[in-house]
Amino acid sequence: MARKIVKSRYYGDEGLIETMAEVPVDKLKAWGPDAELKVVGKPVSRLDGYEKVTGKAAFTFDVSLPRMTYAKILRSMVPHAKIRSIDTSEAEDLPGVLKILTHKNCPVIPWHWGTTVLFDTEVRYQGDEVACVVAESMQIAEDALSLIKVDYEILPFVSDPSEAMKAEAPKVHAWGNIIDGKPSLYSRGDVEKGFQDSDVIFEDTYSTQVVVHNPTEAHCSVVSWDGDKLTVWDSTQALFGVRDAIAKSLSMPASKVRVIKKFMGGGFGGKLEAGKYSVIAALISKEIGRPVRIALDRKEMNLSVGNRPDSVQKLKAGAKKDGTLLALSHYSFGNVGAYPNDADCSWPLRTLYKCPNVRTEEYSVLTNLGRARAYRAPGHVQGTFAFESMMDDLAEKLGLDPLELRRKNYTEIDPVSNRPYTSKLILDAYQKGSEAIGWKEKRKPAGSEKGRFRRGIGMASQIWWGGGGPPAYATIKLNEDASLHVMAGTQDLGTGTYTFLAQIASEVLELPIEKIQVTIGDTETCPYCSLSGGSMTAPSVSPAVRDASEQMKRKLISAAGAILETSESNVKYSAGKMSRLDDPAKIISISEVIEKLDEKMIVTTGAREANPEGYEINTFGAQFAEVEVDTDTGKVRVIKVVAAHDIGRVLNQKTLFNQLHGGIIQGIGYALMEERVVDTYTGKVLTTNIHDYKIPTIMETPQIEVIIVSSGDLLISNTGVKGVGEPAIIPTAAAIANAVYNATGVRIKSLPITADKVLMALSEKN
Amino acid sequence: MKNFNYIQPKSLKEASDILKKKPHEAMLYAGGTDALGLMKQDIIKPEEVVNLKSVPGLNYISYTNGKGLRIGALTELAEIAENPVISEKYPILRHAALAVASPQLRNLGTIAGNLCQRPRCWYYREEFNCLRKGGDMCYAFDGQNKYHCVIGGGPCFIVHPSDLAVVLLALDAKLTVFGDRKTRTVQLKDFFVSPGDDYQHENNLKAGEIITEIQIPELPQDAKSAFVKFRERGVWDFAVVSVGAVIRKEGSKVISGKLAFGGVAPIPWMDESLNAKLPGVALSEEPVAQLVSEILKKAEPLSKNAYKVPLVRNLTKRLLLEL
Repeated sequence: MARKIVKSRYYGDEGLIETMAEVPVDKLKAWGPDAELKVVGKPVSRLDGYEKVTGKAAFTFDVSLPRMTYAKILRSMVPHAKIRSIDTSEAEDLPGVLKILTHKNCPVIPWHWGTTVLFDTEVRYQGDEVACVVAESMQIAEDALSLIKVDYEILPFVSDPSEAMKAEAPKVHAWGNIIDGKPSLYSRGDVEKGFQDSDVIFEDTYSTQVVVHNPTEAHCSVVSWDGDKLTVWDSTQALFGVRDAIAKSLSMPASKVRVIKKFMGGGFGGKLEAGKYSVIAALISKEIGRPVRIALDRKEMNLSVGNRPDSVQKLKAGAKKDGTLLALSHYSFGNVGAYPNDADCSWPLRTLYKCPNVRTEEYSVLTNLGRARAYRAPGHVQGTFAFESMMDDLAEKLGLDPLELRRKNYTEIDPVSNRPYTSKLILDAYQKGSEAIGWKEKRKPAGSEKGRFRRGIGMASQIWWGGGGPPAYATIKLNEDASLHVMAGTQDLGTGTYTFLAQIASEVLELPIEKIQVTIGDTETCPYCSLSGGSMTAPSVSPAVRDASEQMKRKLISAAGAILETSESNVKYSAGKMSRLDDPAKIISISEVIEKLDEKMIVTTGAREANPEGYEINTFGAQFAEVEVDTDTGKVRVIKVVAAHDIGRVLNQKTLFNQLHGGIIQGIGYALMEERVVDTYTGKVLTTNIHDYKIPTIMETPQIEVIIVSSGDLLISNTGVKGVGEPAIIPTAAAIANAVYNATGVRIKSLPITADKVLMALSEKN
Repeated sequence: MKNFNYIQPKSLKEASDILKKKPHEAMLYAGGTDALGLMKQDIIKPEEVVNLKSVPGLNYISYTNGKGLRIGALTELAEIAENPVISEKYPILRHAALAVASPQLRNLGTIAGNLCQRPRCWYYREEFNCLRKGGDMCYAFDGQNKYHCVIGGGPCFIVHPSDLAVVLLALDAKLTVFGDRKTRTVQLKDFFVSPGDDYQHENNLKAGEIITEIQIPELPQDAKSAFVKFRERGVWDFAVVSVGAVIRKEGSKVISGKLAFGGVAPIPWMDESLNAKLPGVALSEEPVAQLVSEILKKAEPLSKNAYKVPLVRNLTKRLLLEL
């Protein structure tokens, strides 16, 4: 099928991505809302379900190779210091220790855009890498760590971003504590005039905490060399990114590095980058000539592999009496830790509603703490909490129903680019979601509840990109036994990629799903797909599989025409059988076709088509929460969450529910209990285990009702799919905060909304 | 974790002798749910781990009408929670046992281990050379002290983490302790040690001493009891605060009773002067509100834990009104 190269523009986890991509010249007709699909969209059970529930599935953490050795990293116990000297002699003498790497014997490999190196002589946070030991066993490696003597010259540190922004603050890097030395700015219209013209002004400050991804599976790699070729099993969301980063670090061609990831126990954005640990393991493995396994422990995961930055957000809104927004301003700063990242969070304020005058000013601030990374809808989760809390406050001040205020400011045009959306069904989400939660019947005026347990209902809107785009490819191989093999260089984070890829091929070729094998997570055998972040996997990869499958169908029809001695247009394809339309008795199966072709298999490769010109692709939705506040203790219990979303076509109802339930539960953790706590006196983290770092359990899990208001976006791709991973978590905390306000009349403006905050706020109110 | 010798004594005497001989190097190991965590985090680095479970006869629940309940030191919390006699005669004990940790941990954790667990203070558990670990300062005092004590603190500001201790205190329990080839009996209220007296130990067990039994007196027929544990997470979480109450009442009036509190002090907390005010209190809104305003009157909250005072008062009020 003819292809061309185009400029591709889409939004990923970190914002706009512009690249060149090969796409089909002719677009397949998208499955319409009325398409009668038999497999796609249905609640198909996971292909890997059996392996997972029986424990057979081998995760990266489980990979074990003959003669494998074990690596453990020594990390800084102080937030900021220069290493005067390291003495590894005693550790090296420990029987079973094979190799110790420190800054003294490690090549200089730049890391974090050259702001540090693999083993720096200056450590900038508790958890920074100091040395790595490889030994015959994990126990020996750990014992050896305790024998390494490091002499530190302690340097002044800063852990609070508001302190770090001051001129006299200790410098995390010589070049300063603010990324780029200046805020990131955005404006449209005339904000001052907008405020002047407003009937009502509302302003307040909201803040959010640092939270840590804490996926079930640790960050880990197993590396093995075969001559000059390196194989890396890695728990990653970005196969090719890891491949390229490792190849670059080791100054070797990327083609000599193979990255494999079969099953994964979660990433949430914390595994989008190559880890230092993978490169360290590869260096040592080469030297000792044996495979190396490196797996971080829970403490390392809470210190060193990323988090969602905190935020302090000062918001101001101006509106007319009828609720029409005239001006919005946003000032914020957030803690990105010791190495560059960004803490921007104003995107929801810029785009959720129509507002002609907007100004934002955001600072990403370095401190001597673990570095931030993308975490499930980076920026949007913090920003939505503050902005949607403020919208409720504004509605209250205007005497309007919160839903009415949002409807009033609805826009079909993206307010930043002025392009229309390919689809936007947020009004349907408001309608269906509010009906499901009982907005009209059950919601009472804020604070009108009496008694010990007070119930309230709140909601918040959601916007996120999640449209995906090219490049993404899938190769399919049809075998003589009519079994099909789908190969794509994407990855399954536990979200169901294996299953939906098979569903699409099954749908097009009408083959039973049991006959379809899926290989993903391998840079060597699979064609390229982008990383799995930004809710892009399904919208990017599913159209490529459909393209490949449709090509396969055409090849089969063409072959059947030749064999049955008729034109292609006289051949009907049905469930793996080709027959002559004019003589249905003349029929041939896939096996017979392939046998006749003497090719043993038929191979096609499909590609994701270009995104439509002149449009913005976004996901939308609204979540509604019902909560109960115990006024004796201040504890908030979430009773029910209704999640109504526009996410294009649903590929698999079961895994869709998994994603939404998971995102909402994670959002409840963010709203009510999760928090990285830091001792500011020493700059050290106090919550390095998952007891003190409180993740929700089934006891915190409410009834969850999912409503999908969309049935496929005809403009974006042949499958009409948008992503759902990130939309799931974005509005949860704001909806809960608004419900708490509705229940008690008390506005908690800082996350998490813990019992002590609510109790103290209630007693202040009384 | 440091390597250690694993010792399986056959008798209390054998176990006690090892502990006495090496007071700093040997550690007693029962269910291990806390000990293992302490060892893995290198908070304690024992050379000898003495497994008490190899000593027979320490796992039992025995009730004698008129005399009360005796529980062997190694009885698992799950057994206490499931025991029909305890459910009938001492429901408060069942309630407290069920409130501990998670089912997996209750299957392993023992009653004496629960009384002897080390503090959960995050400065103690993390890499801080705090007072309790032999350092020279309490980091919590000026630090992150949301979960720390509001009364009885100084120079260390931990709270005692045991749920069972709170109800056993209200039940007026006694412990039998073996050591030095003989046994002694100690009232539970005298077992725990305030940091003002010794900030490195939470109880007064001497080197070589082992709890062998917990004794709970017979409760009067008319006794009512209740326990409430407030935690931030619905399961697998320590108490932010807890309240245990054992009350005798006539009509709606209290004849006598005991209130005990967890999560407020470095030891399971009982205020004799408060309990002295219980007799005669009518269990209705106003008098109970008056009574609970006396709770933690002398509290000196730290920068982030003032909420514990109204929290304890609210919970106690509810508990008494619902008795």
